[in-house]
Amino acid sequence: MFATVHSATLLGVDGHAVTVEVHVSKGLPGFTVVGSPDTVCREARDRVRAALLSSGLEWPLRRITVNLAPSGLRKGGSGLDLAIAIAVLVASEKVPGLPINDLAFVGELGLDGSVRAVPGTLSMIDAVTQPAVVVGHAAAKEAELVGRHTVRSVATLGELVAALWGDEPWPERPPADAAGETAEPADLADVRGQPVARQAIEVAAAGGHHLLLYGPPGGGKTMLATRLVGLLPELDRAEALEATRIHSAAGAPLPPGGLVRRPPLRAPHHGASKVAVIGGGSSWMAPGEISLAHGGVLFLDEMAEFPVDVLEALRTPLEEGVVRVARANFRVSYPARFLLVGAMNPCPCGAARGPGHCRCTPTSLARYGRRLSGPLLDRFDLRVNISPPEPRDLLGGEPGESTAAVRERVERARHRAWQRQRCVNGQLTSRALNQLAPLHADCHELLEGHLASGRLSARGLRRIRCVALTIADLLGVEPPLRPDLLALAMQLRNEPAFLYERMAV
Amino acid sequence: MAEPTTVTDSRPPPDAWVVAMATLPHMGPGRLRAAVRLGEPELTWTRDVVSGRAHRQPALQKKLGKNARAIAEQWAQVAARVDPATLWRAHADAGIGIATLGNPAMPAVLAGDLAPPGVLFWLGDPDVVVGPRVGIVGTRDCTRYGRDIAFELGRDLAAVGVSVVSGLALGIDGAAHAGALAAEGAPPIGVVGTGLDTVYPRQHRRLWQQVVERGVLFSEYPLRTGAEPWHFTSRNRLIAALADVLVVVESHAAGGSMHTVDDAERRQRPVMAVPGPVRSPASAGTNKLLSEGAIVARDVLDVLVELGLKDRPPRAAAEARPPPNAAGQHVLEALGWQPATFEQLVMRSGRSLAEVSASLEQLQRDGWVDGRGGWYERVAKAGARS
Repeated sequence: MFATVHSATLLGVDGHAVTVEVHVSKGLPGFTVVGSPDTVCREARDRVRAALLSSGLEWPLRRITVNLAPSGLRKGGSGLDLAIAIAVLVASEKVPGLPINDLAFVGELGLDGSVRAVPGTLSMIDAVTQPAVVVGHAAAKEAELVGRHTVRSVATLGELVAALWGDEPWPERPPADAAGETAEPADLADVRGQPVARQAIEVAAAGGHHLLLYGPPGGGKTMLATRLVGLLPELDRAEALEATRIHSAAGAPLPPGGLVRRPPLRAPHHGASKVAVIGGGSSWMAPGEISLAHGGVLFLDEMAEFPVDVLEALRTPLEEGVVRVARANFRVSYPARFLLVGAMNPCPCGAARGPGHCRCTPTSLARYGRRLSGPLLDRFDLRVNISPPEPRDLLGGEPGESTAAVRERVERARHRAWQRQRCVNGQLTSRALNQLAPLHADCHELLEGHLASGRLSARGLRRIRCVALTIADLLGVEPPLRPDLLALAMQLRNEPAFLYERMAV
Repeated sequence: MAEPTTVTDSRPPPDAWVVAMATLPHMGPGRLRAAVRLGEPELTWTRDVVSGRAHRQPALQKKLGKNARAIAEQWAQVAARVDPATLWRAHADAGIGIATLGNPAMPAVLAGDLAPPGVLFWLGDPDVVVGPRVGIVGTRDCTRYGRDIAFELGRDLAAVGVSVVSGLALGIDGAAHAGALAAEGAPPIGVVGTGLDTVYPRQHRRLWQQVVERGVLFSEYPLRTGAEPWHFTSRNRLIAALADVLVVVESHAAGGSMHTVDDAERRQRPVMAVPGPVRSPASAGTNKLLSEGAIVARDVLDVLVELGLKDRPPRAAAEARPPPNAAGQHVLEALGWQPATFEQLVMRSGRSLAEVSASLEQLQRDGWVDGRGGWYERVAKAGARS
């Protein structure tokens, strides 16, 4: 006796439709799973058998062969449990075969017969072509995000079998936990003073410019970086689905609505391994921090403490917006278009209050400076020296502008950029830049000195023009770019102190 | 003695064994002096050093202290691998001048010092040590203010024929010599703490060469000696010995320049200090010296008076910079004379970010302000850029 049941599996962040074929025949009782299952998937044998028995269903004492087709595709995880169980039941005629053809099953089985959610449900449901899907209650909301299927959810295998026989109606979904209140995100109004730092994160949000904050400890670098994500506009539906797929595939918790609407903020500790940041893994491929930050902000605090190979691995994704991970048996690509925000001290001692206070030796400074390569530093359009706010501002100062007010300005600037060139200013090509952001004639005097002295490279000039264009968008002025905007852009793209030979004549 | 024809049959002068002794580990100026004073260097080398019995010599034993025996053994091990003739040849090939204690070639001011060097190496012309000399020292981690003052002092002193003595370190030392070279006046005198083939700091390779070409570079260390922290304190004593007046431009409260000051006081050399802002840590040491009675060095005139030279320095050129406009003046006032960040300037001036950055650009172009590493400093005089 033979049965076929539809399901799906996850590779990278993409779902792939899988057909579970079960053959139950005479012979020595046994249960084999073929068709490239990984370890977790192979363990389905034990879970499925126990779940059936716990649900009061009979386990056929015959030879059972499960094939996961297409057999060349690697199947990972426990999402096929439910489909295997149903296929066994259909093949042993414990469940009617007819309704099965229009259903797909995704879920993990507990030994007690309960049906659980699995990571990557969204992508897997997206891959199935059947008009209806069956998942555990916990995954129902996520499954509905796809919008193409009738989503049935069950708590246990027993409930599912009853529903398939038509003995019982499909079970009602339990009401979602009322704990849907998310913590109020940090507001920019908490940042007192620091006009330059505020301007920098506003420009970063409006133009999609990567931002490096450096300065002594206690300057509020972390505080600013966490405020930046609040300035970004909400993700549109396509971006939100993409972000949700990645979060789901990584098993990261989803917001109460199921859809990741707010741009995410990821802040891995500097001890993070390369695989954790970039994504990958040998047996179970998972998206890394850079993909979880897709559409949002990747914040690297104490950036100089990250291993050099992790930082260097960021370069290609920064350029391409996608990371392609290749292993011997499989290749996956994860979307990774994020806004990089780095924070670091200017030197190992922290140089709290400016030149003349640093007690680092030239050797230790040189070593520290080498931790961030030139090409990586080049990716930062904004490099801002963050000094601690003046005590006056901390104690009595007016609260600054709120996140909502600044976000409105950011959204207007992004809208202008979109109208003009269909991308954020940070992604402008140099040809488009020449067309869209001509320089005012007065700028030449300003730039000549910088270019002649070698303080500004051709690439640096291009990046400065991008930043100046964003500032113009924020102010609502049209190009050509005026010299004061260009000067401000240069201020926001400072050379970090350690790049210089210190004070040497 | 016949003129040597080949390396093998050449018989090096007695100084070669002193140079060999200078290469030994744990060999400071004091120990070398004691060893040289034992008499015939070749005899000292074979009888005491190579044999491992250096600690049996009472004069050396006193200098070697508790570990005399262990050091003597180490010397014997190292000495077994040193060939004084080859070493001598290497120095001669590198064009290095050598004088041991008692040799008339050593500049008299060093030979007659409280703690004269056992052996002195030089590149350049040692006979330039004749005219008035001013030591200019200070911290490596200096501010723009200190660098400018050191540069101007070096330039103006050299222009009126006063040699600048300094250590070629980063910061103040280097700026003083850069100024002296810019004036194309009196020959510069450098004292370094490494072998003369080991440029330290490496950034100063060019400065180092220029000092050799135009003046003289002294060292107490044989070729291939690297930079060790303890070399610099003994180098500082040579700077103090060579200078008629010592000027400290900027120094942290516990900086290395304070050792030079102690050495100068021991030799009754006048110590001058450049006053700095009382809040600036880079001036903490100099301000402390002033409160303890050091002589104030505001400009080159103060130093010349202390040297007993009546000549007035050439008048400084009239202000060559275009005057700042109203906005620029406002930003300059907000900047004051202490380093400040862009953000501090925005807060203090109360102007918009774009206005302040445009003003800063203009001020930098006209030479009123110098910015590096995100910090801005006001530049006192035109032309002091280095």
